[in-house]
Amino acid sequence: MMLSPVLLGLTLLIIVPALMTIPLAFTRYDALSSPEWLGLGNFREMLHDGMFFNGLRASLVYVLLAVPIRLLGALLLALLLHRPGRGRTFIRGAIYLPTVVPDIAYALLWLYIFNPLFSPLNVFLPLFGGRGSTPAGWLLNGTSAQVAIAIVLFWTLGEGFVLLMATLQDIPRAMLESAAIDGASRWQVLTRITLPMLAPMLLLIIFRDTIRSFQANFVATVILTNGGPYYATSYLPFWIWQNAIDYQRFGYAAAMTLVLFAVTVVAIALQFVVVRRWRTGYFE
Amino acid sequence: MSERAAEVTAQPTPRTRRRPARSIRLIAGVLAATLFILPLLWMVVASLRPLGLPMPLRIQWWPDPATLSNYRAIFHVVPMARYAANSVIVIVTVIPLTLLTTSLAGFAMAQVPARMRDLLVATLVAALMVPLMAVWLTRFMVYKWLGVLDTLGVLIVPGLMGSSPLYVLIMFWAFRRAPIGSFEAARLDGASAPRIWWSIGLPQVRPALMAVTVLSFERHWGNFLDPLLYINNPRWYTLPVALQGLQQLHPSDWPLMMAGAVVVTLPAVVVFIVAQRYFLREYDEGNPFQ
Repeated sequence: MMLSPVLLGLTLLIIVPALMTIPLAFTRYDALSSPEWLGLGNFREMLHDGMFFNGLRASLVYVLLAVPIRLLGALLLALLLHRPGRGRTFIRGAIYLPTVVPDIAYALLWLYIFNPLFSPLNVFLPLFGGRGSTPAGWLLNGTSAQVAIAIVLFWTLGEGFVLLMATLQDIPRAMLESAAIDGASRWQVLTRITLPMLAPMLLLIIFRDTIRSFQANFVATVILTNGGPYYATSYLPFWIWQNAIDYQRFGYAAAMTLVLFAVTVVAIALQFVVVRRWRTGYFE
Repeated sequence: MSERAAEVTAQPTPRTRRRPARSIRLIAGVLAATLFILPLLWMVVASLRPLGLPMPLRIQWWPDPATLSNYRAIFHVVPMARYAANSVIVIVTVIPLTLLTTSLAGFAMAQVPARMRDLLVATLVAALMVPLMAVWLTRFMVYKWLGVLDTLGVLIVPGLMGSSPLYVLIMFWAFRRAPIGSFEAARLDGASAPRIWWSIGLPQVRPALMAVTVLSFERHWGNFLDPLLYINNPRWYTLPVALQGLQQLHPSDWPLMMAGAVVVTLPAVVVFIVAQRYFLREYDEGNPFQ
């Protein structure tokens, strides 16, 4: 009884829509006329769609870039700040702050930072001798635009930071201290005790971040680059969006969504296998 | 390296060893905080610059002259007030709805038989893993069928499932920590389930209620994709959509855009700062992944 609102909501907003995507992927559907069965037609078209592969590659590159730097950043900050000390509330709050900024405001803010004329980064131009690729021009070149999107989303690592900090605080202090007394160096304490104890949480953050990263850059992409320059940042979600909204090709968009989902599952499975091997090798 | 050598040979007491490390940590922490705040600071500074001024040649930490006129102007350029009203309507309906559904479900989950509970937790975790991409197209059809398409309803209906499966789990973890005996005792005294939920259950999970309030506020207040996808009628646009409108109308008037960004960001930041204690602590206690 008390569960019914949540169960109803889950069914309507997650279970049914997710399941509906599957049959939709095998049809041609423009939201006006009724869906027309295509069989594997959409998937066959995908094989010849250069934009699809372009988007897939861009998305994979983004995930390979963003997930590690976000994790590493969150880990270093958590290691630095998990102990009580002066100004901790302020410092932790400040690091989390970009994470609470609404997506669109956040994207516009970075559009301002990257704009060539009025960018606040321009004042640093003399430091680079006024030459070379300055941050303000980053959105104008394909590769650097991809890097720029990853940098923008680096600042929103608050959740991983907080989760790692909480896990670090749960590690018994005595364990670390007795290791130090036994003559373990700081590096040994970190690699032999702290990191293994963090491993389950690190793994979960990697999983979660991988799933999210495939779509997390969507708003930033729409606002900052609109898929450009020359489709360099037409990540798969962006291309799916264009097909659905601009071209009214819901069936094709659904088929690509399924592929994206499959890629995500494979990425997670790969990470799982790698990490398991690492851990078993570790304890032998 | 030298530190390591010192530790091995001299075995200094922890206090002497930690003092320099402590100030290094503080300095590094302050530097990190600055790095993370700097973009937000630039946003505020830019929003105070008068329109049409050429770019500053040196680092300008405060605009000269500073003006608040951009904050007035954005309300004329786009119907900001109406969009703000829409945003507020969504917030004041969807957050109570979320608190109601998540706390009811969490309360029930803490008391159902273990097998059913495990099934529910597994369902919620699976739902959490479903990528947004997999549902955004087909939700369109569900909303159409529900008759809420192109109204504020599309922004409120998600409250039915507690806005996110994560919030249901947070509530469940909180109720699980509460002493179940007090619920049993009340039941033996003849109290009904809703009554126990209201007068015994809820007071025990205040931090979790607070955390869900803050998390769902941040989520709904900044929600840009849902109105973009499911709302066509400008009458029902919310603040995040207004910001995009501002960008499209005045693509190079940075002070205007940044003023709009500050207006949309400020409530999210204020709520975060006010509730920071509960917010961060709840993550701490109710480890979302256990």
